[in-house]
Amino acid sequence: MEAKTNASTAASDEDLVSSEYLTFTLGSEEYAIDILKVQEIRGYEQPTLIANAPPFIKGVINLRGIIVPIVDLRIKFKLGTVEYTPFTVVIILNVAGRVIGVVVDSVSDVISLNSNQIRQAPDFSGSFDTKYILGLATIDTRMMIVTDIERLMTSSDMELIDTASAD
Amino acid sequence: MAIDMTQFYQVFFEESAEHLAAMESLLLDLDINHPDSEQLNAIFRAAHSIKGSAGTFGFNDLAETTHILENLLDRIRKQELELRADMVDAFLECGDRLREMLEGHQGRGTADPAAVDAICARLRQLSSGDAPAAAAHLAVPAHVAASVVLAAPAQPEGDEIAVRLPVADSGKRVYDIQFVPTQVSAKGEGVANLLDELRSMGVLDIVLQPSADDPSGFWELRLTTDVAKDVFSDQIDFVSDNGAWRIAEDTAVAVDGTTAFGFFDDSPGVPDSVRGYGFFEQLGGELAAAVSEAAAIDDSYGFFEPLPSELLAALEAVPMAEEGDGYGFFAPLPEVAEHSEVAATPTPPSGDGEEGDGFGFFAPLPPIVAEAPAIKLAPAVAAPLAAPVAAPVAAVAREPSALPARAAKPAVTAAAAASGDSSIRVSIEKVDQLINLVGELVITQAMLLQTAGQMQEQAPERLTVGLAQLERNTRDLQESVMSIRMMQISFVFSRFPRVVRDLSSKLGKQVELKTSGETTELDKSLIERITDPLTHLIRNSLDHGIELPEKRVAAGKSPVGTITLKAYHQGGNIVIEVGDDGAGLPRQKILDKAREKGLAVSDQMTDQEVFHLIFEAGFSTADEVTDVSGRGVGMDVVRRNIQAMGGRVEIDSMLGVGTRMTVRLPLTLAILDGMSVAVGDQTYILPLSYVIESVQPEPGDIKTLSNQGRVIQVRGEYLPVLVLTELFGIKSKWRNFTQGIMIVIDADGTKAALCVDALVGQHQVVIKSLEANYRRVMGVSGATIMGDGHVALILDVSAIAGMAKTMMQKAG
Repeated sequence: MEAKTNASTAASDEDLVSSEYLTFTLGSEEYAIDILKVQEIRGYEQPTLIANAPPFIKGVINLRGIIVPIVDLRIKFKLGTVEYTPFTVVIILNVAGRVIGVVVDSVSDVISLNSNQIRQAPDFSGSFDTKYILGLATIDTRMMIVTDIERLMTSSDMELIDTASAD
Repeated sequence: MAIDMTQFYQVFFEESAEHLAAMESLLLDLDINHPDSEQLNAIFRAAHSIKGSAGTFGFNDLAETTHILENLLDRIRKQELELRADMVDAFLECGDRLREMLEGHQGRGTADPAAVDAICARLRQLSSGDAPAAAAHLAVPAHVAASVVLAAPAQPEGDEIAVRLPVADSGKRVYDIQFVPTQVSAKGEGVANLLDELRSMGVLDIVLQPSADDPSGFWELRLTTDVAKDVFSDQIDFVSDNGAWRIAEDTAVAVDGTTAFGFFDDSPGVPDSVRGYGFFEQLGGELAAAVSEAAAIDDSYGFFEPLPSELLAALEAVPMAEEGDGYGFFAPLPEVAEHSEVAATPTPPSGDGEEGDGFGFFAPLPPIVAEAPAIKLAPAVAAPLAAPVAAPVAAVAREPSALPARAAKPAVTAAAAASGDSSIRVSIEKVDQLINLVGELVITQAMLLQTAGQMQEQAPERLTVGLAQLERNTRDLQESVMSIRMMQISFVFSRFPRVVRDLSSKLGKQVELKTSGETTELDKSLIERITDPLTHLIRNSLDHGIELPEKRVAAGKSPVGTITLKAYHQGGNIVIEVGDDGAGLPRQKILDKAREKGLAVSDQMTDQEVFHLIFEAGFSTADEVTDVSGRGVGMDVVRRNIQAMGGRVEIDSMLGVGTRMTVRLPLTLAILDGMSVAVGDQTYILPLSYVIESVQPEPGDIKTLSNQGRVIQVRGEYLPVLVLTELFGIKSKWRNFTQGIMIVIDADGTKAALCVDALVGQHQVVIKSLEANYRRVMGVSGATIMGDGHVALILDVSAIAGMAKTMMQKAG
């Protein structure tokens, strides 16, 4: 939706194979996820409530005939202000054979990163379990948290999948 | 140019599997003593098709085995060999081997070469070893004997049936010739020349000729000649329209040129005191009415089934004479039905006035041109029948003495089998994509309609009319598309006659399988997954349920046990019942076994709970392990499979009376009749089948139990009250839930009053899975997309009623 390509970030000179990442913001933090996991980006629409679901699961929407659950990562990670405006963005992900929508503050960029640019994240305890973090990447002065979105979404923390949430 | 054949393999595998299945069901239907030639032909065709395509694709082992099978079938079909039960067994086994080979080629399992060789040898031996014995049984090809006389004798209460029997003579042969000439030859000299030609060969009777004003109608001739039929068949072919001709040679009896009209008693070669009953299937409605009226008046027996008006009736008479009862069956010619061209070949009454006998000949005919109009059929046949003197309307099979008596069944099954053949193969993904696209279309259409509705008077009339039209069309489209994925459960049921047959003979039991509700439709994916559990249940019934014949007789039951297989829709579920009239489940034995196994049981357990123990892994009441059952694996697998489908199994059993296993499956993708209810700002769908009534409660109506559970009295019954807003944690638009409305629901006997804010409407909704991208939600069975594009959740009434139960238990 609002993704604009930043030519300066293209790491075409590098010998290493680079892959493209979609970056989005949650509060003041910037995250990057593998663009191949992203199906589409769309505006927020009021989902249908699911009874007794955790608060970060906003409900389900109809995406061209498919029932898609919507997760608000801002609520999940307690980041940013949770408000729904016409500019609120939902990233529709295609992970582990499932279609899941995540609400983020904004989508900023599509960037190319090679493995050299991704540094190991230090061990720290935060709202975000480090096992979902592939590393940290820096472009200009921005630091991006490169996230294993598939692992995150299928984890039992997200309560999106039966087998994971059974116990 | 080399063509990559592998791309067609899948089609070949599927087709061959279908042919094998068809062959098997035909074999099982076959009446061994009186095989129907049409069924034999169908079996032969199936084998032949497999052989043909196997050869084409280079699967030589398949082709060779089918070749041997086909040889034997061919000989039986030509009546060179008599069909015997052991042959049917050999055929069935051969079918199994072929299926194994097919699977082997698909990379699933392998066929045992020794078994294949064994069955080939057996088939060869059957084919060759019995040749001399069969010579004596040179019977008449069935189709020759298939002409049937429709007789309406003058004698008002005559039980006698006029029948036309050729009198035997040597040397000359009788041909029944039927044809429809082309327009050109009918108007010109073609037909006249042909008739002259035929007259020069022998004695020609014109049995039926079309009226003068429509010369291109149907002709039926009877030629008695010593010339071979090849001599004149070319000429007939020349004048006939598109192969619309046939010559049937009556080899059983040659005649001396005179046909005898007589009654059964003095007719040679026909059993004494034969009574004729005419069964007419698929006649034109008009005719049927006329005939049945006549039949009713005269106490005759006539059975008529209506035919879609645009079709002409094609009637093949299958002669039957069985110990004094003659049944004439008119069934559609398979090849005719396959071409979806059904032809009628009525003949006007040819009986003479003095005897008052009207004869109509319904004879088989190859696909005939559509020009033979329906209108012709009605008057031609109805006339003699509507005559006031119309006496018993009876169709009597002309019965050559060599032809064995037949059973009535094949004609009906042949008709059923012939109709459903035309289909195309489409991958499921394509269908699913189509379904989704249509769903999108429906939503877009609803959106447009809503927008136009908001414009109110400003909307041009043409727009509103067009939108209304669009709405109807999209609904129709959606319905048709939805039905694509649905399959009849007969697809599953059809394999069980074989299972029962094989297993009952192995166990030395006599079992009859009764099925009902075969037309119940369910989703293809469910069809595929329900097969194994059902097979287990049936095997279980056979092995543990049905007793040995001696035991049954001792218990005062019929020696033949019955297994019933039923499918029907009930309350948003598909219910499949497997019942038997066997010994029933021994409660005490199960309890003892369970204790032995160290399961926690008590004598206070309800029957249901006790019976469910048989689903425990490793549980078996069988005293010894056989190759059929006893390891205690089957039922465990059944339950797990069914639960995986979101269904459940129930057992009802009575010792000595029988057992009934009920499998309840949810409908996936099925359309559900639902009631939409508003709860807060949400809309939920309540399956209509669970809803009994709705009541508006008065504030004082609701009482509490221990200050926890709430009950309401409805029609003298105290029902637990469930407040959806509380259950689902939604803010109600009412301050007090009693301002809402109570819906009385009944889920499998558990009644409850569900409190919602308001009733919205009634819809047919398409069930979508919530679990595909999310997980199971307590109290919700699925989701659907409403007209405005929003998702509405479908309530799982059983689960909600269950919540009510636990709440009540907690409270009291």
